[in-house]
Amino acid sequence: MYCVRNVTEDLYWIGANDHRLALFENIHPIPRGVSYNSYFLKDESSVVFDTIDWSSCRQFIENIEYLLEGRPLDYLVINHMEPDHGASLEEVLLRWPDVKVISTRKAFLIMSQFGFKVKEENCIEVKEGDTFKFGKHEVTFIAAPMVHWPEAMVTLDLTDGVLFAADAFGSFGALDGKLFNDEVDFDRDWLDDARRYYTNIVGKYGPHVQLLLGKAAGVLDKIKFICPLHGPVWRNNFEYLLDKYQHWSTYEPEEKGVMIAYASMYGNTEAAAQALATKLCEKGLTNVAVYDVSNTQVSYLISDAFKYSHIVLASVTYNLGIYPVMHNFLTDMKALNLQKRTFAVVENGSWAPKSGDLMEKYITEQLKDMTLIGGRLSVASSLLPDKAGELDKLADAIIESVNGEK
Amino acid sequence: MLFKTSDAHEALRMQVREFAETEIKPIAFLMDKENLFPGEQMKKFGEMGLMGIPYPKEYGGAGLDVMSYAIAVEELARVDGGTGVILSAHVSLGTWPIFAFGTEEQKQKYLIPLCKGEKIGAFGLTEPNAGSDAGGTETTAVLEGDHYVLNGGKIFITNAPKADTYVVFASTNPDLGTKGISAFIVEKGWEGFGFGDHYDKMGIRSSSTAELIFNDVKVPKENLLGKEGDGFKIAMATLDGGRIGIAAQALGIAQGAYEHALEYSKERVQFGKPIAAQQAVSFKIADMATKLRCARFLIYSAAELKEAHVPYGMESAMAKMYASDIALEVTNDALQIFGGSGFMKGMEVERAYRDAKITTIYEGTNEIQRVVIASHLIGKLPKESGAGAPGPKKAVPVTGYRKKKIFKDGTAEEKVNALVEALVNDGYDFTVGIPIDTPIVEAERVVSAGKGIGAKENMKLIEDLAVQAGAAIGSSRPVAETLKYVPLNRYVGMSGQKFSGNLYIACGISGAAQHLKGIKDASTIVAININGNAPIFKNCDYGIVGDVMEILPLLTAALDNGEAKKPAPPMVKMKRPEPPKAAPVGDRYVCGGCGYEYDPAKGNPENDIYPGTPFERVPEEWVCPECGEGKDQFIKA
Repeated sequence: MYCVRNVTEDLYWIGANDHRLALFENIHPIPRGVSYNSYFLKDESSVVFDTIDWSSCRQFIENIEYLLEGRPLDYLVINHMEPDHGASLEEVLLRWPDVKVISTRKAFLIMSQFGFKVKEENCIEVKEGDTFKFGKHEVTFIAAPMVHWPEAMVTLDLTDGVLFAADAFGSFGALDGKLFNDEVDFDRDWLDDARRYYTNIVGKYGPHVQLLLGKAAGVLDKIKFICPLHGPVWRNNFEYLLDKYQHWSTYEPEEKGVMIAYASMYGNTEAAAQALATKLCEKGLTNVAVYDVSNTQVSYLISDAFKYSHIVLASVTYNLGIYPVMHNFLTDMKALNLQKRTFAVVENGSWAPKSGDLMEKYITEQLKDMTLIGGRLSVASSLLPDKAGELDKLADAIIESVNGEK
Repeated sequence: MLFKTSDAHEALRMQVREFAETEIKPIAFLMDKENLFPGEQMKKFGEMGLMGIPYPKEYGGAGLDVMSYAIAVEELARVDGGTGVILSAHVSLGTWPIFAFGTEEQKQKYLIPLCKGEKIGAFGLTEPNAGSDAGGTETTAVLEGDHYVLNGGKIFITNAPKADTYVVFASTNPDLGTKGISAFIVEKGWEGFGFGDHYDKMGIRSSSTAELIFNDVKVPKENLLGKEGDGFKIAMATLDGGRIGIAAQALGIAQGAYEHALEYSKERVQFGKPIAAQQAVSFKIADMATKLRCARFLIYSAAELKEAHVPYGMESAMAKMYASDIALEVTNDALQIFGGSGFMKGMEVERAYRDAKITTIYEGTNEIQRVVIASHLIGKLPKESGAGAPGPKKAVPVTGYRKKKIFKDGTAEEKVNALVEALVNDGYDFTVGIPIDTPIVEAERVVSAGKGIGAKENMKLIEDLAVQAGAAIGSSRPVAETLKYVPLNRYVGMSGQKFSGNLYIACGISGAAQHLKGIKDASTIVAININGNAPIFKNCDYGIVGDVMEILPLLTAALDNGEAKKPAPPMVKMKRPEPPKAAPVGDRYVCGGCGYEYDPAKGNPENDIYPGTPFERVPEEWVCPECGEGKDQFIKA
């Protein structure tokens, strides 16, 4: 059975929802599933914008066939060649061998690397600023390199203001029938997954997102719909979405608050982290999120690291180093280019506490533009009441720093 | 072409030679013996217009070329090696940086009197921990309003204290290593600028060499030479040229010795004939002359390259290295030809033998010259450690960034008063206090005793001071653990109690790392210790080098207002001085083809882009090392 929805009168969503996949990119958990979005334009020519993951290809083909009503498929615009969007290209080519493929030079190169054979005469290579008419609709192409692949572009339909945004503005989470941002409570139900998607997939490429946002700002008045490749289609409240992207891509925190991530073997470091969280809340700073790094998948940690202004890392010393899971979190923060946060450090060790020194060294030398709050809390095996004063001071220092933030 | 000096060069040679023979030669032995500086003679040399040979006439120079200058140094050194280096240090080191990097105002004010010989110049780079490696520079210059405050010292400075104008190198950003070094023009006579003793040297004893001492010397902002951070570049460029002077000096010393030996070999008769007739001696003469000719050609060629403004760094290094190496050989052979007579004081070859030695050492040891030459030939190979900040990062003190203000001036009492004044200025109120048995972690102030306190009865001094400073009592680990002067829970350190209050006064504590880690959160650290080199002084805000037996009673008295201390209000943590933030070398750029980030601090050494190269200066043909996209595909991060 076909499964499509109108975006505009002649534009259809023809994607699919995936609840079977456990790990997106085989790494990030997606308990709410994910949608692969593709779009079909019914004009004088028939046009498909991007394909979908191989796993849902059957649904995708059914949708296209339904909308074609026996006509041939004329054009396929490929904005992004990552296999969760590009993998069904091969099947489209087999079924409609004469389809003309419109994409960037790099995308054609990547297609051939994946082994998808587009006939030379069917390739239409476009670059920034080129336009193309499908009949009533005229589109223009905007390069979006490194958002988050080099071949990516976005396509703007100048006729009805639809922006095909590739992986920009996407989110984890299956649509399950809903399509538009105003059909869901985005802030309540979707923001965390949208943030987790952005920060873990695109987080590293803030400067290039900024470049794209700058280009979008120039045509913002023309944009009526934002059609990403995952998650809801946006048709209003753009400023909300753009504000989030502005924060994330400039590495500015969304909220003044404290994320406490602890690594604890037997619960003693955990107790110190809990004591600190309690102190902070008792003193009135309640925007505190506490995570055990050992049983919180790192994509969630990264997402909150992008959200909060302050991060407390509490780690045991393990093999004279940082506890491996905590170390992995630090490594991911570096990989994803997180910047402009203020850190405080709690260390634990029973004979030679090292994790504090090492975490501080990593934060100041490996991460960018980070600030350290002094007064590290050093725990020998477990936090005993004699350190209550130190704990209190650390809490005060964190609160002072949070309140001092601009 | 005919490799030959011009008539004008030879005329100048004769002029300088005559001066040297008549003015310097008669007093050379005396100067050597008595460590005397030919002040009058150099003044006269200046009046002859020869102190600014290679500089334009509009700045009071002679408007001659670099080779003329090399010839002048050579001729002075031929008679007296020490006099040769006075001119070399003055022209190449003291004057050239102002000529090459100075503003017009700086040139008007400083270059003209230097070129005219009214003033003598000197160059202050070397420090105890920064010899061949300038990255170790510890002299600091901190900008305070319209002037820099210079602190630290320089050693082995040629022409000091005779010189009037000093080009001094100091770190304006210690985090950046050599990239944080800046150059300043400093005048003799400025407050806080002093000199150590004149060194008693093996050779070149007529040249004056002394230590420079800077104690809060205020240097007007306009005396910064070039920009902040340009210092290392200025120093290296200066030394490139300075090498020509030292090479010429070495050549002159060797030339003089050679001439004496040649003459002597023809006069001295043994076995019925002049020793020059002995093949053993004649071969020596032949070798000496050949080496001299090689050295001379190397030097004159480097001078010509410099004059023509083409790269000459490698060639001047070759000249300096070779000329000084052969100066040792030639003076050694000359002395050998003189036999026992040459070993006697008063003989020119004996003096030349001693004078020559320094030329393989100063203005870049000959080992460093070989490094320079090799680097030109081989290129800079990528460093082993790719990661990290630019330049050699200096070790940060254990307690973090500290003011390190050591009170040195005046009597012990004056030092103590200066300390108290500084503390009061920082906001410490000594009319209030806490009980001396307040737990260390809760204490706002702590007076701590180290092993330097001596006998147990001296703990009374600590107690008295703690009462008047309104502080609790603490100690180093050995004082609690081994000496047992205080309970174990009062020792401060990584393994003991951590102090994170405001004022920590360390008395007789040398500053083991373990102890320092326990006080790194203190707002203010005061160190009192008899050993000025104790690590605590590198980790303190204020320090007095002195005997605790003398200083503590004075400090106690100075803090005593005659009344009992009022109970201290709840502690307000005092802010610590912010460390100067390491200035980024330049903007980072991200590749649009793969996300590779170009960090100027790291450069891209695999592709010959050296650390410290701003993206703008990366050649246009450079491509992304990861994906091969062109430079134009990069955007600013």
